[in-house]
Amino acid sequence: MKQLYDVLIIGGGVVGSAIAREMSRYTLKIGVLEKNLDVCYETSGRNSGVVHGGFAYDTGSLKARLCVEGNKNMGQLAEELDFKFIRCGKVLVGSTEEDMETLKRTIRQGEANGASGLELIDSKRLHELVPAVVGEFAMFSHNSGIVDPFNYTIALAENAHANGADYFFDHEVTAIERDADGIYALTTPHGIFHTRWVVNSAGLGCGRISDMLGIKGYKIIGSKGDYIILDKRTGPLLPMPVYPVPSNTYMGIHVTNTTDGNVIIGPNADMVSDFTYYGVPQENMDYLAESASNLWPCIRKQDYIRNYSGILPKWVDDNGAIQDFKIEIRDDIAPRAINLVGIESPGLTAAVPIARYAIGLMAEREKLEPNPDFNPVRRGIPRFEELTKEEQNQLILEDPDYGEVICRCEKVTRAEILAAIHNPLGVDTMAGIKYRTRSMMGRCQGGYCQMRIAQMIEEELGRKETEVQYARKGSRMFFGKVRQEV
Amino acid sequence: MMREFTCIICPNGCEIRAEIEEKEGGAVEILSIEGAACKKGNAYVEQELKAPQRNIATSVLVKGGILPLASVRLTAPIPKGRIFDAMAEIRKCTLTAPVESGTVVIHNLLGYDTDVIVTKDIPENAEK
Amino acid sequence: MDGQMDKKTCSQINGIRTEAVDVVIVGGGPAGLAAAVELYHKGIHDILIVEREKQLGGILRQCIHDGFGLTRFCTTLSGPEYAKRFIDEVEELKIPYITDAAVLEVTDAKLVTAATRDGLRQWQAKSVILTMGCRERTRGALGIPGERPTGVFTAGVAQAYINLYNTMPAREVVILGSGDIGMIMARRLTLEGAHVQAVFEIQPYPSGLPRNIEQCLNDYGIPLYLSHTVTAIHGGKRLTGVTISRVDEHFKPIPGTEKEYSCDTLILSVGLIPENELSLDAGVALDGRTKGAVVDEYFQTNVPGIFAAGNVLHVHDLVDFVSMEAENLADSAAEYIRDKSLPDCPVEIKTDRNINHTVPQRISGTRGFKLSMRVNRPMKDCRIVVRQDGVEIAAKKMKKAIPAEMIQMEIKPEKLKTSGNLEVCVE
Repeated sequence: MKQLYDVLIIGGGVVGSAIAREMSRYTLKIGVLEKNLDVCYETSGRNSGVVHGGFAYDTGSLKARLCVEGNKNMGQLAEELDFKFIRCGKVLVGSTEEDMETLKRTIRQGEANGASGLELIDSKRLHELVPAVVGEFAMFSHNSGIVDPFNYTIALAENAHANGADYFFDHEVTAIERDADGIYALTTPHGIFHTRWVVNSAGLGCGRISDMLGIKGYKIIGSKGDYIILDKRTGPLLPMPVYPVPSNTYMGIHVTNTTDGNVIIGPNADMVSDFTYYGVPQENMDYLAESASNLWPCIRKQDYIRNYSGILPKWVDDNGAIQDFKIEIRDDIAPRAINLVGIESPGLTAAVPIARYAIGLMAEREKLEPNPDFNPVRRGIPRFEELTKEEQNQLILEDPDYGEVICRCEKVTRAEILAAIHNPLGVDTMAGIKYRTRSMMGRCQGGYCQMRIAQMIEEELGRKETEVQYARKGSRMFFGKVRQEV
Repeated sequence: MMREFTCIICPNGCEIRAEIEEKEGGAVEILSIEGAACKKGNAYVEQELKAPQRNIATSVLVKGGILPLASVRLTAPIPKGRIFDAMAEIRKCTLTAPVESGTVVIHNLLGYDTDVIVTKDIPENAEK
Repeated sequence: MDGQMDKKTCSQINGIRTEAVDVVIVGGGPAGLAAAVELYHKGIHDILIVEREKQLGGILRQCIHDGFGLTRFCTTLSGPEYAKRFIDEVEELKIPYITDAAVLEVTDAKLVTAATRDGLRQWQAKSVILTMGCRERTRGALGIPGERPTGVFTAGVAQAYINLYNTMPAREVVILGSGDIGMIMARRLTLEGAHVQAVFEIQPYPSGLPRNIEQCLNDYGIPLYLSHTVTAIHGGKRLTGVTISRVDEHFKPIPGTEKEYSCDTLILSVGLIPENELSLDAGVALDGRTKGAVVDEYFQTNVPGIFAAGNVLHVHDLVDFVSMEAENLADSAAEYIRDKSLPDCPVEIKTDRNINHTVPQRISGTRGFKLSMRVNRPMKDCRIVVRQDGVEIAAKKMKKAIPAEMIQMEIKPEKLKTSGNLEVCVE
């Protein structure tokens, strides 16, 4: 019989990993069952990376409260976990009377939610902040910011792992049963896992897992948003995210800077029921560019590097109205199961407060013993590119692998790639290396470095070329060797 | 009938037209050739009509070198129809580093007056 | 690893030991190698070639097909053999070079910094020659819609996998772009057992050399469809297929012409982009049409003492011309080292709608020079005319002019003046 876990967390994304980390502050035996081959392949890694101010949500909602809390603590979290967070602010730009009224309402709502640093600014101030923007006035949210969602999710997961949580990849949960003693049995492709507590942080799969737990009836729809990534040379033109004045359903086509100096255009919002299709259609790309250009006329096709897509799981009522976060324990139906439903935006900002809230529910039902060995600090892979020349030189003298540049566009060295290949979670995909180092994310999109990286994966992990995956299971890179010994 | 060719002898890529007559047994009689900037073009078209020839560039496995493959080519072209036979022969070869450019890998490939030669130096891998 | 290096005069800049050198050549591919050898023959010996790979040769290392050296050596060589001719001379002349060294920065003060396994290396050069070559245009840059599975490779990447890494990335292949690299890869993939279903080209004419259509496509029965492009990519993990559409004269997909092709590999041969990130850092001004530096007849950029040649300046079709261009540059760089400056080049060269660009973009008007250009679309039976202040100073009759083939003209000094812009037109 497999070992008995105290908690099994279904879904290792930003929320699942935040929960794993928060739970590892206690003496709980924790396991994370992740469907994919890494922690950020679904919603957690497919967003605009914005740390929201907390003004866009209904007062009294969990979204509002947990977003404000997450925003406040993001700086400290980023330092503890060594991921990139820049509190650059954000502007919501308007030009009409109606926009002005909406902004005033937004500020009132924000203040009622406990958000701070919300300021109405005029055209002059707006154009001091973002010279290239088109607009008459704006709400400037001082405390909004941007984060690298991959770094962030990976950092939470690695710290959870360092503090004792087990991570299992390619472990989709397909059935849940509970025995007479109340022990849950979770079926995965690699066997059945047993646990006292279950956490449903399955994101896009939250409806299915909730059903499996017996908590039926949640209607989940997907809001698919496409994005275009622009070359870093556009970065200086966008010092902070620029949004048009918001509507009730989604944020609007905005332009966002990234922590690495790129610009992201998007998302749009298409309602979908297929949560596995991430293709970006031509008309969406055209629409994004055209619409965002009204706000920030610096978009040129020659600056396109790549596009991507993400789906937000929204819990809706029978009329299709989007609901608040649902974080619950239904003692009558599924005791000791923390059910998280509809965790969409601002899930990234609120991940740790969501985790704390969930554990709060758990603590009401079970005494939790603090883990004396818990260490909140995690160090990521040092980025050669960010160091001064003296620091770079010193690093190379200590480890010559830092002197070998593998990814030319992003100046990522062999030492960093090696550290990524030997990452603590055991992720072995090309995308896993990409997200941990920024290699293959530059303007040549791996044209120079992907061959080297694939070879390093083969050598370091003893894989055959046919076993190298790009991201998802089945995304093989190669069919074999060109020449074998006869 | 009229056949058109793009000469491949030099980068000019002259467009050459040949008036031909197909005889019994597959033989071809050339009635006229025009459009070539030089004699080599005419010769190329005649060759193409009678017995088209091609060179091949491919790779051979190398053991113990700083690269796993040495590029190779033929010293003279062979009949176009035998390209894949040639590839099959070349695939059987393995070299051991160090390998020098110009080394003959297969002499008189498929019995033709052409050798398969290495076109790249592959030094020995000092680390392994 | 170092090639041959003597002890040099050193100082400390940025906390890094810095060596003085006359010329740093960034990139040891065909342009860099030719420039180095020519500089040496012109009496400049204090040179350093900085190459990021383990071996010299640049992109030629993976271009194992022949066709190189036809004009220069009057024989047909493979890429590696062509490179070897220059590498052998570099070795023989003991021209200093360093491999496994990636240049991180070039400043307008001609300070060059590179990362090596032994630490950061820094050189204060009197002159810097930029010969970094180019990168390939990617799927993301084209914005091809659809999913983003693995199995979409640019042609150069596929070529590197097959020829350098002994790895086969493809079985059932569709190729977008009839550039030379795409066609070369069609043949290479076929020889190694893949099935190339078709090559699609968005233009109404092929973008590569006619002889490659002959030897790489027609020989293997691979069809070439002009005025077609990929309008969607399918597959959540590995590519499962592409949608192909015909395009109209404005390159817009024509609705109703979509065809699905099942395949596991899409090879992209859709353009080369000169790799000028280092140049930008050095304050070098680029020409939006070539994506390479704006240079004068000395191949000098707007930063005195910084020169550019080869694919980093403008994309070439024939490496023979790259070598010649690099040698011309080297002559100028040698003059620069000796005289500490080069004559002004105030005369601008303008083009009409038929000519995409010229290199150089500025001249002195005091001496003859070689003018390189490409036409914007295929033309037959035309004259390329160069005028200065409305007066014809040179002309070239062309039976056939295509964008795929760079056109070069020798402009003789006799009719040139030192003022008055040049105009290049097609008539």
